[in-house]
Amino acid sequence: MSLCQNDIAYDAPEWLTGEHMTGTTIMAVEFADGVVFGADSRTSTGTYVANRVTDKLTQVSDKIYCCRSGSAADTQAIADYVKLYLDLQENETNEDPTVEVASRVFQMLCYQNRDMLSASIICAGWDKNKGGQVYCLPLGGMCVRMPFAIGGSGSTYIYGHCDNTYKEGMTEEQCLKFVADAVALAMHRDGSSGGMIRLAVLTKDGCKRLNIPGNQLPTFWSK
Amino acid sequence: MSSIGSGYDLSAGQFSPDGRVFQVEYAIKAVENSGSVIALRGKDGVVFGVEKIITSKLYEEGSNRRVHSIDTHIGAAVAGLLSDARAVINRARDESANYRDTYQVPIPLKSLTERLGKYMHYFTVYGHLRPFGVSILLGTWDETNGPKLMEIDPSGTARGFYGCAVGKGKQNAKTEIEKLDLSNMTCKELVKEVAKVIYSVHDEVKDKHFELELSWIGKETGGTHQIVPQDIFNEAKTYAEEALNDSDDEDTDM
Amino acid sequence: MVSLAVDNMLVGKDEPKGFLFENCRRNAFMAKQGVTLPKARSTGTTIVGVIFNEGVVLGADTRATGGSIVCDLNCEKIHYIADNVYCCGAGTAADTEFTTRMVSSKMELLKLRTGREGRVISALRMLKQYLFRYQGHVSAALVLGGVDVTGPALYTVYPHGSTDKLPYVTMGSGSLAAMSVFEDGYKVGMNEEEAKKLVRDAIRAGIVNDLGSGSNVDITVIKQGSVQQFRPYEVICKKSERQGDYTFPAGTTAVKSSHDMVPFSALRVTDEEVMEIS
Repeated sequence: MSLCQNDIAYDAPEWLTGEHMTGTTIMAVEFADGVVFGADSRTSTGTYVANRVTDKLTQVSDKIYCCRSGSAADTQAIADYVKLYLDLQENETNEDPTVEVASRVFQMLCYQNRDMLSASIICAGWDKNKGGQVYCLPLGGMCVRMPFAIGGSGSTYIYGHCDNTYKEGMTEEQCLKFVADAVALAMHRDGSSGGMIRLAVLTKDGCKRLNIPGNQLPTFWSK
Repeated sequence: MSSIGSGYDLSAGQFSPDGRVFQVEYAIKAVENSGSVIALRGKDGVVFGVEKIITSKLYEEGSNRRVHSIDTHIGAAVAGLLSDARAVINRARDESANYRDTYQVPIPLKSLTERLGKYMHYFTVYGHLRPFGVSILLGTWDETNGPKLMEIDPSGTARGFYGCAVGKGKQNAKTEIEKLDLSNMTCKELVKEVAKVIYSVHDEVKDKHFELELSWIGKETGGTHQIVPQDIFNEAKTYAEEALNDSDDEDTDM
Repeated sequence: MVSLAVDNMLVGKDEPKGFLFENCRRNAFMAKQGVTLPKARSTGTTIVGVIFNEGVVLGADTRATGGSIVCDLNCEKIHYIADNVYCCGAGTAADTEFTTRMVSSKMELLKLRTGREGRVISALRMLKQYLFRYQGHVSAALVLGGVDVTGPALYTVYPHGSTDKLPYVTMGSGSLAAMSVFEDGYKVGMNEEEAKKLVRDAIRAGIVNDLGSGSNVDITVIKQGSVQQFRPYEVICKKSERQGDYTFPAGTTAVKSSHDMVPFSALRVTDEEVMEIS
């Protein structure tokens, strides 16, 4: 603890001064009855793991969640704002907000503040109009609906795997396996993804949460 | 001070001893003096019709419109003082744009009427303000929620309708509208009926000339509020005029 | 008169009030010339928190540093937020002190307005929104803990405004040392004594292994309806006893002659001219 900012001192290491980044693997897949989410659980500042059991799946309304990647402070603030906007709209219209509106609000905030934010988000959920939906919001403030989306630093390692493995019309179980495998593969290769796998299944009946502990991750050829 | 108001009608900020706000009632009177405005909600959209009374032959055709678009997906028809109406329409457009800015999607009609009703009501509770001499009919249609029709009167009260009529011919218009099987009719059919009702309630003795305004929003227009195209307008107008002539004939027959 | 000016400075009669900005331009000039100016630097602290079966234990060291100098041997780093919420602060002392004080005041007003005891998440929201607004320029790294209607709660708040909710947390430059103790010794559902012992071990690890942390272990235990403060809980770095005697008798240093010495009172400016420059 220092008394004032102008003291000459040793340069504090970057794991202390650095902004918290969720060097991350996040993922969401649409299926017939809803969506399946997946994420690793690592939050890092530089080389230090600040939180090894982070929950990057954040609820923004009853049946809409988002997966956060980028700066932890930025994405938490954005998610809080979206929560506020959706609550206001729900109060005004007396209807559950739609996933489209949620992702549009995400997009609006990300685009209007694009110079100040480092946030890339996957917004997904279920609504009565269009069922399960996944929207991908990468860095600059774009918003696009996809049958499945991957994001975060770990996603670069698994694009090929996902394109190869994804099939249209998968069941809930197939989706869960698809997500768990993909996230495990990304965590395996990406230094800033790790910890455990957090999964969620969201349908019209609500959200079901699942966790795969770090010592029970899916294994592949290298045991 | 003598007859009706007894001094309690000078301000919207004061009740009369029997619990009335005369300024609001006078505003409603102003609407009742206006040309008739009707809107019908069918199974696939909403059709607006206006009897626009022309007080001078020197006026250019098509001026002083009474049907307006609030947003691409919401149409409005107004009865009452035209200049007041413009203020209300502008506010509606602001609210609609504001909702889009905030939530990035079109405003639901219910939200718009609530916000607009609140705005109009604001003018009925302060002594330094005067209520709007306007009733506004608002209509929309979209694929998931179907057609919706609502009306706001000068007190700021909003209601939902299947068929709605305001203005001087409203009583007659309502009896005509009640005869229709609205929820099973398409916009195309409704356009004719709207024209017919407007023609039938027009009082040729009191107001010589009038201009018919027709607009619609529904499946037909892809959810966009539009003026009824010229050919369909002509068709509806002819239908209305013929229907009127027929009934006149019947009258003379008797 | 120079001597007069010196006198005044000592007495402080005509001392200018408020901040002095006269060095700002000089500093800017120096920076332009390539002189590296001192950088803003954060934590030299170990602060921790842990949840046990009845509530929360917060712990902190008591060293305050100004650069490489220890400014305060026994400073208080566990700040009061509300009767049921306390907050440990690491980072710039003024920033942690004033952010916690501001939130404390807001929590009191909230309590008066709602007529209920404040909740930990309310304090958390105020802190994270305030810190996010200043984009990390308010260097306060906090451990927020308390007990409310929902039970015990423990959070970390980072200077950029991100927060984490965990059963055991550490912060500050000694956080790595402290975390290693927690990762080794934490158990679910510990009792108060075990929790206090674990926190003491964690802070001790920080004090011993981290240069920025030192002195004593402070501990605050928050339970439903009660708060206990131990200040200090334990003194880790006891100041050692002075071994020798360093007083010297008069005449220890030999003086050759006193002839050339001019007494201070003899120095006097007799004439002074002020030259105008513009």
